[in-house]
Order: sequence, then structure tokens, then C-alpha cells
Amino acid sequence: MKVLVTVKEVAAVEDEFEIDGTAIDEAYLEYDLNEWDDYAIEEGVQISESEDDVEVVSVTIGPERSEETIRMALAKGADRAVRVWDDSLEDAEMLDVEAKTNLLAAVVEEEEPDLVLSGVQADDDGFGATGVSLADEVGFEWAAVVNDLELDVEGGVASVRRELEGGVEELTDVDLPAVLTIQTGINEPRYASLRGIRQAQRKEIKPMTLDDLGLSADVAESDLEIVDMYEPETESDATLFEGSPDETAGQLAEVLRDGGVGQ
Amino acid sequence: MDFDLPTEHQMIQEEVRRFCDEEIEPIAQDIEDEHRFPQEIFDQLADLDVMGVPIDEEYGGLGGDTLMYAVVAEELGRVSGSVALSYVAHTSLGTKPLDLFGTPKQKEEWLEPLASGEGMGAWALTEPGSGSDASDMDTMAVKDGDEYVLNGTKQFITNANVANSVLVKAVTDPGAGYDGISTFIVDPENDDGFEVSTVWDKMGLNASPTCEIQLDDVRVPEDRLLGEEGEGWKQTMKTLDGGRISIAAISTGLAQGAYEAAKTYSKEREQFGKPISKFDAIRDKIVHMERQVERARLLTHKSAWQYDQGESVTKSSSLAKLDASEAARKVAEEAVQVLGGYGYTEDFSPQRFMRDAKLMEIGEGTSEIQHLVIGRELGL
Repeated sequence: MKVLVTVKEVAAVEDEFEIDGTAIDEAYLEYDLNEWDDYAIEEGVQISESEDDVEVVSVTIGPERSEETIRMALAKGADRAVRVWDDSLEDAEMLDVEAKTNLLAAVVEEEEPDLVLSGVQADDDGFGATGVSLADEVGFEWAAVVNDLELDVEGGVASVRRELEGGVEELTDVDLPAVLTIQTGINEPRYASLRGIRQAQRKEIKPMTLDDLGLSADVAESDLEIVDMYEPETESDATLFEGSPDETAGQLAEVLRDGGVGQ
Repeated sequence: MDFDLPTEHQMIQEEVRRFCDEEIEPIAQDIEDEHRFPQEIFDQLADLDVMGVPIDEEYGGLGGDTLMYAVVAEELGRVSGSVALSYVAHTSLGTKPLDLFGTPKQKEEWLEPLASGEGMGAWALTEPGSGSDASDMDTMAVKDGDEYVLNGTKQFITNANVANSVLVKAVTDPGAGYDGISTFIVDPENDDGFEVSTVWDKMGLNASPTCEIQLDDVRVPEDRLLGEEGEGWKQTMKTLDGGRISIAAISTGLAQGAYEAAKTYSKEREQFGKPISKFDAIRDKIVHMERQVERARLLTHKSAWQYDQGESVTKSSSLAKLDASEAARKVAEEAVQVLGGYGYTEDFSPQRFMRDAKLMEIGEGTSEIQHLVIGRELGL
């Protein structure tokens, strides 16, 4: 079987930064593998380690710089990678969920995976929708916010546990092919071994342009427009209690009672 | 010239640093307080292929170069001098000589478990009466049939009480001076007569065991001779060339760790209404730290690079070791000063770096011996 893991290089902002127009000044950004995607890679690699004949392919949408990120997926055990980029994507102000869905859908058509694993959300733009949107586009079954996965390869069924609102969990069987969005905590992502890192230098990262995917430049067009970028005012509601444990416990009880907690 | 590390080295640096920050740094002070060798850390390092970085792949090593090894040693030093010291003693002194001078059969039996990290390596050169004048040793190895019989005392042997094998230097031909020294592979567990007589309590680096060992009629078969009889000193010189690079790398790491601690603290600690980093007195200290760390790293990387080119590194590795070890001590001491009262407490790392750094000016050739080596290289 083939597992496709989508990964994204996300921007992390330094403690102090400046906003330049509708974006954070590039000088204050560092790039790293999206945290959720690290769990998705680990899940994919664990499947390839426990089942026979599993190929794990990692895909990313990003400029050449993002090869560093996707190479870490290769170092952790993915077999090969695909990197989608194009000059017309470079020029786009942002790639929204629709654009990413169409790009990844083209890759899914090309690769024909049995299972697609994506992170629940990206740590930077945080749309949290690409995985499910992709499933809808390519006509796969899907399950979102998966924190446990049992795979029956022969039966073609993924038994998953999903996190719902309010601490409720749901057990669902999903027929393959399917897209699962992976929640942190589903596994313990490994450190890449040094041998893995060395081998990753020789693994294939196939570059794909819009032409290669049979898409035109308008795939990057978006109905969304970023109109402003600003730091929200921060309000501090912290109340500091001072005194002995007896006194502070009483003060805390009072606040809770006033707030309507525990009548 | 290209001062950027190759991509592969950068990825290794990044991942080893993540491991160090998440797995070693949180226990770095505890293992010092407990004087405990952290076997579990070395087991994990073995799983990540860290224990055999510059060792032949055929024998379970990673097949990396000296620059890669220096990068890894620096990262370990940045969080724990003890882990870093046991690591480089294992690699440079206990493992690399087997890779360089061993027969295929010796490599299979003794190198493989070390390169894969199943066991720790060690070597034994120094004696109670022989330190800087290292060739003036009293430990003897006498041929008896198809065995050698070893007798003597070895001092300050890193990892001896946790080692899978110890490479022991001994005199086989008392009249031959430098050419009368040979190297023997000794098995601490299975060779009768090997005893760890002391595990030293030290000023720092207490999670890295430093031992005195007694060899009392230790009989080893003749296939435990490493290389030929009389080659022990030449092997030692070659081993110490690489060893000095590894100590320079640890020192750079210690300096980097102390510098980071001081820099972070100086930006958070406020006095007279602003962060102390905004005062010239503290800013200048931090800038001077950066200057020393960068210099130490450049000298270390240059020497590692030369080693990988197959060039002689006697001078460059001595320079790197001399400069980086001094930088580590000075930067760590200034870091303690930047943290003030907190710097003097064991809740903060600079005091640990300061204790650990001092050894780097002593071990694997004192600073005074480095001056001697460099002076000789300059034709003085």
C-alpha cells in the first residue's frame, strides 16, 4: 500500500518582530516542520514498519528552501518526496485552502495513495481545513483530529479514535482510500537517526510544477484577501493572591463563587 | 572558501541539538549532583547512531567525517560537559584507534560493539607518575608464550568502570624509549587482574567517571596487541591529534552553553528599570563571549576540516584546543558574573560550565604542553 503524508514548512516568529504591510517582516521568521505533520510522518513510518510493502511518500508545497523541512521527513523514514512549486505560486500573496486542495488533489491523482495523512492544522496560518477539503475534492473517505489509528490493510479499513468538542471521543471505521488528519499525541515522534539523516541526502525529492500536475496558474487565485495584520491588544486578567495558603484558598474560593463556578 | 556547514551536517546539528535540549539538559545538573553515569542517555545516543560518528560503516560506524564528529561533540558540550567528555573519550580514544590500527578480526570483536554503541570505549595512557611526560611510563607488558602479562597502575582513565574495552599503553621493550611502547586491548569484565581502584570525586564532570585502575598480572592473548609491538607511541600521537579536536569541540560547546545562559538572562533580568543587557558593562561582556566562542569554533572546524583533507593537524588541533579550552573557562566565568548571585547557585548552569571548562585546559595535553607543541611546530 501507499501512504501519502502532507507536510508543511511553517514560519515561527521571534519574540520581538515587526509587521511589514500585511505580513511579518521576513527577518523575524524562522522556518520549521509543522508540529502536527511531525506526528503524521511518524504515523506513516510506523505503518511502513509494521506492515509489508508499504511505501511512504511525503509531499509539500513550497519553495526550494522547504526541501530542508521535507528532508527531515525522509530522514525519519519516508521513502521519497514530492515538492510542488511554481513561479506563479511564488507570486501569490497567500495560498488558501482551496488552492492547496487543488494542488494536493493533483498530487493524489498522480500518486494514487491508499491513505493520506495530514496534520490537523498548520502552526502558522492555522486554517485547519486542508485535509478534509482534500478528501472531499478527491472523493476519499475522511476522519479529522485522529488521535488513535488501527489499520486493517487487507480489509481496507482504518479504525480511528477522534477528538470531539468537550472531551468527547468517537470511534469510527473509515473505508480506504481515506484522508486522516492527525492530532498531536497520537504517537511519540522519533528523533531522526544520524544514519537516517545521511541516507535522506540521497533520497529523491521530485520537483513538480503546475504544468507537471496539469494545472494552470489560476489555481493560486483566491477569494480571500489579507486586509490587515496587527498585534491584538493583550488584556491581563490575572489576579495574584498573596498570603498564607489558608488566606489564598479563601480568596480563590470567593473568585470562583462570584464567577458562578461551584455554587 | 565556504564557511557554511554542509546540509547533512546542519541537519545533524539541528537534530542532535533538539535531542540534547529535550533529553540531556533537563537532567544535566542532577547527574552531576548524583555523580551518576547516565547509561540511559548513551543507550539513546546509540539508537541515534551517535556513538560511532567517525568510524567505518563496515564495522557499525556512521562513516561520517571529523567535522561531523566535532559538530556532535560541540552540541553535547553545550548541555553537559560530562556526557560530552565520556562521549569523546569513547570515540577518539577508545574506538578510533581500533578503527585505525586494528586487524579485521580485532575490529569485528572489539570495534563493532563500540561503534554501534553497545559498549563504551576507554584508553589508559596516564599513570600516577607520568602525565605530561607520557612516554615515561612504568606499566609493563611481558611476553609469556602466546600471552602478554600486564602489570602497572593507570590514572585518570575516563569511562574505565563502564567500559567494554580499555586500550592500555604498556612498555614491551624497556630499552627502546618511544619505540618500546605498545597498545593492548584489555577486557575489564573478563580479564582477571583488572581492577578499578578509585573513581575520583572531581571539581566538575562528575557524571563522567574518572578512574584509577590496577593491572595485576593481567594475562591477554597475543592477538590483543593493537598494531605491532613498539607502535604504541606513534599510535598515541596520531590518536591525540584527533583527540585535541574533540576537546576543542567540547570546549566550544561549553562556551556556547555558558554564553547562551548569560545572554538570555541579561535580556530578562531588569535592574535600574531596564534589562541589564542594555548596560555597557554587561553588553560588552556578552559581546566578548560571542567573540571568543566564534573564534574557538572557527579554529576547531578548520582543524577538523584539515584532518578530513588528510593534512597534518598537529599545529591546528593544538591551537584549537588551547584557544577553545581557555575560551570555555573565561566565558563560563563571565557567565557566572553576569548572573550575579544566581550564577553562583546550582539552579543555574554557568557554575557547571565553569567547573567543567577547567578540565579542558588540563586533559589530553595541558595548555602548557599545547604551547610546547605549537612552539615546536613553529620551529622555536
